[in-house]
Amino acid sequence: MARNKYDIDEVIEDKFDFGQLKRVFQYVKPYRGQLAFALFLMLSASALTMLFPMFISEIMDTYIPAGNIRAIVTITLISLVIVLYTCVCIRLKIRITSRIGQAIVHQLRSDIFCHLQELPFSYYDDRPHGKIQVRVVNYVNSLSDLLSNGIINTITDMCNLIFILIFMLLLHVRLTLICLCGLPVLFAVIVFVKRRQRRAWQIQSNKQSNLTAYIAESINGIRVTQSFVRERENTSIFNHLSDSYRSAWMRAVKYNFIMWPCIDSISTVTTAFIYVIGIGWISGEIYGVTVGILIAFTSYISRFWEPINTLASFYNSLLTAIAYLERIFETIDEPVNVKDTEDAVLMPPIDGKVEFEDVCFSYEDGVQILNKVNFAANPGDTYAIVGPTGAGKSTIVNLISRFYNVDSGRILIDGTDISGVTLKSLRKQMGIMMQDSFIFSGTIMDNIRYGNLTATDEEVIAAAKTVCAHDFIMEMENGYQTQVNERGSRLSAGQRQLISFARALLENPAILILDEATSSIDTETEILLQKGLNRLLEGRTSFIIAHRLSTIKNANCIMYVDKGNILEAGTHDELLALKGEYYKLFMSQYDFLAGKTE
Amino acid sequence: MTAMKWFYSFLKKHNRSMALGIVIVTVISILAIVKPIVSGSIVDDVITGGNYDLLPKLIALLVIITILRGTLRYWSQVIFETCSQDVLFSMRDTVYRKLLQEDFNFYNKKRTGDLLSRQTGDMDAIRHFIAFVIYQVYENVFLFFFALIMIFTVSWKLALCMCAVLPFSLMVTLSQTREGRPRFQRIREQFSSLNTFVQENVSGNRVVKAFSKEDYEIGKFNKENDGYRDAELAAAEIWTKYVPKFEFLSNMLTVILMLVGSIMVIQGSMTLGNYVTINGYLWMLMNPLRQIGWRINDVQRFTTSVEKIYATYSEEPKVKYPAKPIPCKKLKGDIEFRNVSYSADDEAIIHNVSFKVKSGQTVGILGSTGSGKSTIMNLLCRFYDVTDGEVLVDGRNVKDLDLYNLRQNIGMAMQDVFLFSDTVEGNIAYSRPDCPFEAVQKAAVMADADNFIREMPDGYDTIVGERGVGLSGGQKQRISLARALLKEPSILILDDTTSAVDMETESYIQQQLNNIDRACTIFVVAYRISSIKDSDLILVLNDGKIVEQGTHDELLKNNGYYATVFRHQYGEFEKYVDEINQNNKGGEKYGSK
Repeated sequence: MARNKYDIDEVIEDKFDFGQLKRVFQYVKPYRGQLAFALFLMLSASALTMLFPMFISEIMDTYIPAGNIRAIVTITLISLVIVLYTCVCIRLKIRITSRIGQAIVHQLRSDIFCHLQELPFSYYDDRPHGKIQVRVVNYVNSLSDLLSNGIINTITDMCNLIFILIFMLLLHVRLTLICLCGLPVLFAVIVFVKRRQRRAWQIQSNKQSNLTAYIAESINGIRVTQSFVRERENTSIFNHLSDSYRSAWMRAVKYNFIMWPCIDSISTVTTAFIYVIGIGWISGEIYGVTVGILIAFTSYISRFWEPINTLASFYNSLLTAIAYLERIFETIDEPVNVKDTEDAVLMPPIDGKVEFEDVCFSYEDGVQILNKVNFAANPGDTYAIVGPTGAGKSTIVNLISRFYNVDSGRILIDGTDISGVTLKSLRKQMGIMMQDSFIFSGTIMDNIRYGNLTATDEEVIAAAKTVCAHDFIMEMENGYQTQVNERGSRLSAGQRQLISFARALLENPAILILDEATSSIDTETEILLQKGLNRLLEGRTSFIIAHRLSTIKNANCIMYVDKGNILEAGTHDELLALKGEYYKLFMSQYDFLAGKTE
Repeated sequence: MTAMKWFYSFLKKHNRSMALGIVIVTVISILAIVKPIVSGSIVDDVITGGNYDLLPKLIALLVIITILRGTLRYWSQVIFETCSQDVLFSMRDTVYRKLLQEDFNFYNKKRTGDLLSRQTGDMDAIRHFIAFVIYQVYENVFLFFFALIMIFTVSWKLALCMCAVLPFSLMVTLSQTREGRPRFQRIREQFSSLNTFVQENVSGNRVVKAFSKEDYEIGKFNKENDGYRDAELAAAEIWTKYVPKFEFLSNMLTVILMLVGSIMVIQGSMTLGNYVTINGYLWMLMNPLRQIGWRINDVQRFTTSVEKIYATYSEEPKVKYPAKPIPCKKLKGDIEFRNVSYSADDEAIIHNVSFKVKSGQTVGILGSTGSGKSTIMNLLCRFYDVTDGEVLVDGRNVKDLDLYNLRQNIGMAMQDVFLFSDTVEGNIAYSRPDCPFEAVQKAAVMADADNFIREMPDGYDTIVGERGVGLSGGQKQRISLARALLKEPSILILDDTTSAVDMETESYIQQQLNNIDRACTIFVVAYRISSIKDSDLILVLNDGKIVEQGTHDELLKNNGYYATVFRHQYGEFEKYVDEINQNNKGGEKYGSK
């Protein structure tokens, strides 16, 4: 799939997939017992409250003319009991439905989040992060009411509808049939509107997603925006997105608004027909229609259309929700390419031998990144990978941690093919420090401890000391307890790198991977760092990608990578003697000095 | 200004539409009262009374009322919805503009997820309030008082009895409002917190995977997820508690009618007809009472959200736009720092820094990690304001210059490269969205980015992921450099911009910068000596102070920090210098392309 950005709508499914609804009911299923109980409460309560009109007519017709105050007091007391019972029922129903609603939302959110944890980098790279976020947070939220109250109300209304229909049929079959003539008209309207309505809500959800993505990115990129004085342009893009969202919303919501007037009109027209025909039949004295029957019948008619009305509004919110559900399920269904095989075993404690056997890899079809790469790394040695930007250096190290699967060939660690072991057991034994040193909001202590959650404060501090981060951390207002945030508030890029370095070390990995991990650290610190590291690296295999030659010179083996392959490999001195690509790279560093001596 | 006043300032613009909407709702309510009367008349006069001639008229009336009511309802809903969308639109716009003005201090402390919540979830509560709650409350209040007045005219004694429920309703309302408030605040906070957590998890997905911390993240997520659910349930407890109370009070009206009304009829102080009439009005009293609990819920969600949004909105940036800005479309690029100090949260970051640069000169800045190099650059761009001393550009204090003009004159490639999820072209042309492609390409060539961009699947039209996650560090830095170059700035700041590119590329880029055909003051913050050694002035920083300054040769003689770093990086230089000279004589030059 092509990459997505803030102003590209996501693909919309055309067909209404009933499978989606089935899946929703999977979420509701565990609570069917409670739902049934709530339903029973509501039905009993509404059946009892239906007695009130009867009581009142009884009072008016019998007790008042008879002046029977005693009976009136009795009925009042009975009513009071019913009222109290109803209140208890309502209370229980609200409690049950809100718990169920929240539980379902909780589950759904948990499912989408857990699945997201398994998805590969490319999923995150291919779309603005705001678009992922809106699914986990906002879309899921909007479903809670529908999946609890919505379901109960729908079933209650359906029951009511059936009861009333039975009463109507018992009263007079022909009149009932006339009344039912309104339904096909209603269905015609619904079918007519449905396609557009559904499409409108899908578009709306897309626009919402676009807007959220843009806001999120605006916040994260604020420094660039201000420094490039793009405020005006961004505001106009933002307003454009905001406006599309507004019009999409208005278009969608208008379809929902149509529903009520339609039902109201259909019900009035059928009622009018009943009056006319009923009176006709009374005066013609056919089909046994009497004045009493007609009056009773008309009072049922309004009760017949009431539940239909609420059902229609449920239908409206269902269509809205489906537009969100499709997006949520789409994420949950996103295939996970890199995952444990069924017979995956635990990676035994790693000694550190790493072998690449004819490894080929491409991110996209036809664009080969690695082409039959072969090498064998000895346990405990340090390997430096150099080469021009985009040569595939990061790809090689990413493959060692199995962030991607190889297209062909094998990667072995201690002779075990890494595709056959569990990801967790593999990655747990690796310390990886990436180009982007991401800092989570929290204390510095928490950020370092991320590498090993069971580490004591002393161990965290020891790791920080090893990477020379201790001093600057202690200079901060609250030392290790200083709050930092994602944008790394007040930490320089170098400081962030040191913190993520400490984080990687704390993991006590058997294999250490440093991907341009020290590019923003000053030389002085780097030298100190290396002294500490040399001690630490003993017995660990490490892979270092760097441009600064001082960082890589002392490696046991330097691999020069270009055009998807290792062109040269050897120690610094060997490669210099070879006078090949590495030699050229090395010399270019001294060019300017040479220029000076000329 | 309070949060509510602030909200009203948006709604005010739609006073007319809202008023029209309210008028329509009034008509709808009246029609809702009239419709049962017409139906009643059909039953009483036509069916029971046998007055069949009336039927066509009454049915016509009924149909007209229905169609009128349907049309009006649709119309009013559209009016309220439009108002709410318009209010939201301008509110989002206002908040967005404010966010763009906030300075780095603000963003250092705010979490992205919180700010995002203000613009999404909180806005939704406001939408619901304007589009639905306002007219619902009005309609209910209208019906309630209409019915109450009607009952008063029929029998003021019974009406007074029914009014007995009012004080109770008021009490329950007040206590629900009081109890609900903190819980709704908790929902908003939990929502923000959840949003922040998810946002960081998504942004930091590489770290999560690298450390194989999926389970830990899921554990943390569960806490957030539980927290949000519990907050919602805590609020649900409130309506679980209060909605039945209103239900009870509303049903008490029927009970009062049953008992008191009947006795009054029996005692003769009211007729049976009156009793029937009052019974007919009862639903208009009961429905509104029943709904109070839910509406309080809606209103509280709304007020909490408005307060949250307003709290964010009302934070004033410390870096202020000058009252009388001096316009400076084109700056020359003379820069002077005069005794500049800067501290944040009582922590001194820059102490008494002074230096002077002439237009067209190049300044190299070297210093240990966290010594304040980037801060100096940020002070120049006025991302922060100095706490002491002054920063002068072309002899004028930056605080007096037009802020946007100032920044327009500065091209900055930041240490922490942020790319937008946009095409490569869109990213490079960030400062000049409508500049011709040739200019974009020229900038890319200068930054040595053109080659690799053209090798990408869609060339310049390739969409890069947020933060440029699909690209290598060196590629990102070069795109960021091209972006800064395209501005054709008078002052160019390269803040550690070439740390991830190889030496060859770096020296190529340096040549390109030397060849810029206009006066451009360049600041190069770097750790590599090779990046800064040719600078006209090299500043060495330590702990926020300038400890050495001068040219490469001067600093080498000085034998201080700079010389030490030089030796670290070029210690083996002597060994290879002859070889290099030979090579150069052979005509092979590596830096060029």
